[in-house]
Amino acid sequence: MSERTNRRRKTAWRVIAAMALVLVVITFTPLILSPGRIHPGFLSMPYTLWTSILITIILVVLTYAGSRTRNND
Amino acid sequence: MLTWLLIVGSIYVTILFLLAWRSRRMIRDQRDFLMAGSNIGLVLGFMTFAATLFSTFTLLGMPDFSRTHGVGAWIFLAFSDAGMVFLIVWFGYLLRKRISAKGFNGMSGLLQECYRNRWAGYIYFAGVFIFLIPYVAIQIRGVAIFLVEAFTTTMPVWAWSLLIVVVMLVYSELGGLKAIIYADFMQGTMLMLVVWIIAVSCMRSLGGWSELFRQVEAVNPALLSTPGPKGLLNSQFLIASFLAILMIPVTQPQLSTRLVIMKNTRSMYRMAVAVGTFAMLVIFPTIIIGLYGALRYPDASVSEFLGRVLLHDQAAVVGSAAIIGLFAAAMSTSDSQLFALGNEFRGLLSTNGSRSLLPTRLAIIIFALAALLFSLFSSDQLVLLARISFAGTAMMGPLVILGILSSKPQGAFMIVASGLGLAVFILSQAGILPEMVGTMRMDLLLMIVLTLCAIASYLLRR
Repeated sequence: MSERTNRRRKTAWRVIAAMALVLVVITFTPLILSPGRIHPGFLSMPYTLWTSILITIILVVLTYAGSRTRNND
Repeated sequence: MLTWLLIVGSIYVTILFLLAWRSRRMIRDQRDFLMAGSNIGLVLGFMTFAATLFSTFTLLGMPDFSRTHGVGAWIFLAFSDAGMVFLIVWFGYLLRKRISAKGFNGMSGLLQECYRNRWAGYIYFAGVFIFLIPYVAIQIRGVAIFLVEAFTTTMPVWAWSLLIVVVMLVYSELGGLKAIIYADFMQGTMLMLVVWIIAVSCMRSLGGWSELFRQVEAVNPALLSTPGPKGLLNSQFLIASFLAILMIPVTQPQLSTRLVIMKNTRSMYRMAVAVGTFAMLVIFPTIIIGLYGALRYPDASVSEFLGRVLLHDQAAVVGSAAIIGLFAAAMSTSDSQLFALGNEFRGLLSTNGSRSLLPTRLAIIIFALAALLFSLFSSDQLVLLARISFAGTAMMGPLVILGILSSKPQGAFMIVASGLGLAVFILSQAGILPEMVGTMRMDLLLMIVLTLCAIASYLLRR
């Protein structure tokens, strides 16, 4: 694998890891952990539930994307 | 229901022992028995990881946790699991790379090699032993209590506990890790089916999806946000829980083994994504069941609520499948943990591991008996005890990551720090030291301190 490809993969991994870290931090802020906040809802779900589900889905997608940048055996 | 239970149970146990026998015939050496040949593909790999991770607390603990604390339970578990699978992509690769030359004799043995110090392995083993045995015990106890509630005129708690342990020991001693993996596959499948069938049934009885949330908002709106009605799910608790769950594949030997035995790294990556997806699909219905319980059984005891929602409110065949599913969940998590502890013990016997399987087999039986005894006396708070178990083993996380990440031995500092951290955590749980330090939780403070110690050690020795 060329040096250039390796560098690109490392950069891509760092960007994805940074995105994951940002999502984790956001989840523990009052933006998501908002005491007593139910609205706005989505598909009848309360605010905390649908936002945290959305973030979780994105995190799993980032896991897939991150794995594509990593080395294999 | 008893008829259905006998039918479903007989089918399950028969398949279990047939697969265990099949696995036994494929065993040629220690590697086959202890590591299933280190050649596990994606489907078996992700099902065994998921089944080992999602124990009885998924079907017993999480609905009750949601009933009591509300929708924040998703962040507590599903979101934390998503963080954990992301970490697997990084940590799993490092672990496999580290063991590629010399093989894997358990995390204890690996740490002794990384630190060139036997105490690294001893501290690690002490941590996992102290926190995994109670975790195994509460699995067994949780299911046994539930069964006593469901079948009041049959066996007592200790008899159900003994039955679970005996069945588990027979098939794992017979077929080794491969038998356990097949059992995990069956358990994971049952768990997913049962939890969704029950959740849909609960929703329908309330009038549907929208009606569920509308009724909860009318009766107990605090369930629909954090920190929940009892104020437990605040940011500190959720952050500390996130970190504890994040460290699970790093510190819990039954799960780090499952990273190692995948046939290649690509399969491991795909396994991580599959586990993250499985986590979302299995935890979501437990929240629905919990909210149903908050409406129909808000003041019921734990066992009464679970007996009603899992058994009496369901069709007989579903209730029977739930019982077998719980049995399977208790066995699949417990056997993996006990087996892993046995493997860790083997790794500590010498740097190359004992050549005989007898010490490992005996160790597994002794650990199982210890768990059985503990189960007779432990608490009923399944999810909170599980969380303590995760938090306790998470104290070993910085020690493990530093050891695997470093190309040269890191000395005794981190070993001593981890030992002290473990001791402080145990004392805080025993009530001898406080659980809060000012406004900060003790477990969170310890994780931060140990992480900083690991970073400092790494940078100073670089």
